[in-house]
Formats: sequence, C-alpha cells, structure tokens
Amino acid sequence: MTEESKNENGKDVKVPNRRQALMLGAAAASTVVTVRPALAQTAGSILTCEIPVPDPGNAGNYIAPDGTVVAPGTPGAVPPPGRNLAGEEVKQALRNGGSLPGYGYEQSQAYTNYIRRLQAGQSGFTCYASIQMPRG
Amino acid sequence: MKHEFRVTVGPVGFRIGSDWKQPLDRMRRLYQGYPVPDIPDFTVRLFAQRPWRKIIRPSVTIGGDYMLPDAQPMALAHGLLAAEMGMNLQMALGQRRYLVLHASAVERDGKALLMTGESGAGKSTLSALLGERGWRFMGDEFALVDLENGAIHAFPRMVSLKNEAVALFEAQPDRLGPIMHITPKGTIRHLRPPEDAIARMEESARPAMLLFPRFGFEPAVREMGEAEVFVRLTQASTNYVALGEAGYDALTTLVRSVPTRAIDYPDTERAVEAVERLWADLG
Amino acid sequence: MTEAVFRADPPDARRCVVLADGVTVVYHRPSGLTHILAPPAPEVLAAMSEGDADTGTLIARLERDHDLSGTDDLRGTLTARLVELETAGLVWRP
Repeated sequence: MTEESKNENGKDVKVPNRRQALMLGAAAASTVVTVRPALAQTAGSILTCEIPVPDPGNAGNYIAPDGTVVAPGTPGAVPPPGRNLAGEEVKQALRNGGSLPGYGYEQSQAYTNYIRRLQAGQSGFTCYASIQMPRG
Repeated sequence: MKHEFRVTVGPVGFRIGSDWKQPLDRMRRLYQGYPVPDIPDFTVRLFAQRPWRKIIRPSVTIGGDYMLPDAQPMALAHGLLAAEMGMNLQMALGQRRYLVLHASAVERDGKALLMTGESGAGKSTLSALLGERGWRFMGDEFALVDLENGAIHAFPRMVSLKNEAVALFEAQPDRLGPIMHITPKGTIRHLRPPEDAIARMEESARPAMLLFPRFGFEPAVREMGEAEVFVRLTQASTNYVALGEAGYDALTTLVRSVPTRAIDYPDTERAVEAVERLWADLG
Repeated sequence: MTEAVFRADPPDARRCVVLADGVTVVYHRPSGLTHILAPPAPEVLAAMSEGDADTGTLIARLERDHDLSGTDDLRGTLTARLVELETAGLVWRP
C-alpha cells in the first residue's frame, strides 16, 4: 500500500521502514468501516413511496407477529392492512415504536416486522431502504 | 407523450414529457429565461398509470430514464412537485459526470460555501436567504463536484421552500410557484432563484467551506474530524459508490482541502450571522 | 494447531489517503469499495504486502518495524484485525 503522505520536504514518499510505535488496542475493537451506497439519500428525499404488505404475490395471506407471511386464519396472525402502507407512516412507526395510523398495536407490530424482513428484489424493499435514516 | 418541456439547469439538460399540460405550464413560467437543451441528458415522464387516471381523480406517476419501484403516484395539483422530484431522481440515479452531493451551495468571490445535512436541517432555506444577502445562489438540493478539478458547478433549480420559510419570500409573488399542501403538516412552494443566479449558472466555484447546519438548537459551532466528514459525505452523495475511483479521488480531495464545521442555530438570522463570521475566518 | 493463512492483493490494488485524524481511507480497486481503517488496521494491511501470512508471521513483521504496545494479547488482537480485514474483502484465506 503506497501511502500518499508527505515527508518534511513536502515530497510524496512511501512510508519508510523504520520502527514506529504502534498501539494495538483490544481484540474486540472495530477498526474497519466499509462505505455503503446511500440508498436513503437517493430515494428518501425524492419520492413518496409505498410498501405493499404482504407483496402482491402473497395477496390475501396473513402476517404473523414476527412478520412472516402465513396462511389466512393462522392462530395469532393478523389480516393484511388492505392497502399499501406509505413510506412516511412506516418511518414514523419505526422511529417511535408506535402504531400505524388506523391499525392497532398488534397489527402494527406484525406489519413493521414484515417490513423489517424485506430483502432486495421484494416489493417495497426500495421504499424501506429509503426511509431508514443514516446514523449520525 | 402529449406535452413536452425542456430546460437546462447548470450543466444538465432535461426533457420533461407529460400526459397533462398544467404542470408544464407552471414549469414554463418559473423557468422562464433558462437555456433550452437541444439534446437533453435526462428524460422525465409524468404519466397516468391507467388511461382513465388522466381525467378521473388524476394521479401522476413519475417515470423517466431512471425510475424507482414502489413510487406512490401524486395528485395532479402536485404535478410541478412531481416534475421536480423526477429531475432529482434522474440526477440521483443517473449522473456520472460529477460527484453529486445532497448540499446547497452559494458563492462569493469565486469561492463556494456548501451546506449539507438531513432534510429539515435548513440548507434550502439558508441558501435561498444567502442568495438575497450578497451571495450568488448556486443550488439548494444538489452540489456537483467536478471529477477533474474539484470545482463546484451550479445547479440552480427551483428552491423548495417549506412551511415558515415561504413567508420570507411572500413579498415576491412573481418568483413563487403554487402553494402545495403536501401533508397535513407540510406545505411547499417553489421559489425561482435570483436573476444573477440564473445568468451565471455556468460559472463554477472553488469549494472553500463546508457546513453541517442543524436548525432549532441553541447557537453552537463544532469542529469536525476529517473521518467523520468523509463518512457523512459518502452518505450525502447519491453516486459516490457508482463513480468508483474517480469518486474516491474527488471526495478525499474535498475533505482534505475544505474546512468544515457543524453549526447549530435557533433561527435563520442567527444562522446567517454565524455563516458570515465563519466565512470571514475560514473561507 | 495450524493457524489460518491470509493473503492480500498487491499494494497497487489499493489507493490510500491518510486523513488528518490519523484514519486511512482505502479504495479497493478489485471491488470498487471504500473502507475507512483506523490503526493498527492500515499497518496490518501494509505488512501483508510481503506475502501470505498467518498471525505469527504477521506479528514478526510488525515487531520488526514497530514498537508494539497496548495489549497483552498480541495473537488475539491481531487475529481479530485480520478477520475484520477479511470481512471487508481486503484480505482472504487462499
């Protein structure tokens, strides 16, 4: 790795082989961070988006409390919301842990857990990715 | 598409096609005097998902060269906003000639001040206000960083003013677009940039200061470490990863050459004061 | 017990810039990814440019060039650094 640093004369040099102090720190420390594409910025301030719950291929199925899609009438599962959920209302519910407008606590928990499980390629994933605020 | 409007903003030419005339008439009025591209870089389409949606409870779906799935259609009354969002989308997903940063920019003496941060942090309002106070407005949404030389290119689109910020410009109705009630909590009006901003849109500027403003806090100024600035700017860029090594060069150069501060402010007047003070010290 | 052996790309597969706060920003050309490395990760990565190494070899290379301090558990902490670099794709087990 050629470090593009400058020596005292301002010239670019490879870091020379001389003994330098090196503090190592704890094994559990985190010293490598990988930059991820900022989908949040790409879409979040640009479009209002919707998330179908469940995805259209699963229309009519119910949502278990942990967010998985199950057959209608499965004990403990809730019926689908009957409309697409708007990105804004999902963002608020995820932030506050509260309920989605028009739905009770259990239904909201099931729907938000469904949304948290979305993978790239599924309907609504882009919307979900765009409403997560980057940290800091 | 039945109706078409073309406009060049800074170095980028757009073509907007629409199933309806009204949004494009509104754009024509606000963008009067902007250059017109022969060959657009990007196309935006405002279309009806179903034929009857042109007329019955008309709803506008945003499309174009680049599209996002899951997009919610918008009411025809918000068609102008849809067109602006469509242009944002093309820039965010398709721009490869410049490093795109979610930042506002104003210029003085050939040097650019960039302001970036979350939505609501105030970068749009501050840039619009500074544009009335002796600065040249360069843009409120995107700052374009030249991949060859690091210069900031102006991108002076209509400024999105929200809620209270609109009141600051109500004495200039010719510059304002229609009121759009977006949500029960939010109102947007578009503001035409000042005439000198439009006349000078092809002039780039060297970036000289970067600010991360936060609205609604007691006044404070904080230095920021270069690592923090770098990471936050990768998250404020729509195309850093897609640009590969060229993006890496442009961003590392920017971070190492431009002094950066986080500023908290309770109101826009105090923000303007803080900006002027910092510019005198650092810019 | 045989320790895992790690390998890194040659130095010209990466671009590196050291920022004022001592952190290194690395562009990895094969993957197009950018990583931010805090000490001692950049030094570990640089030491891998001499060829494949397990933790023991890495310790020897680092001790040759540096006065190491800050831990009683050299093997543990340096293995952890290699694993972090592996997760980022900057080193791998051939």
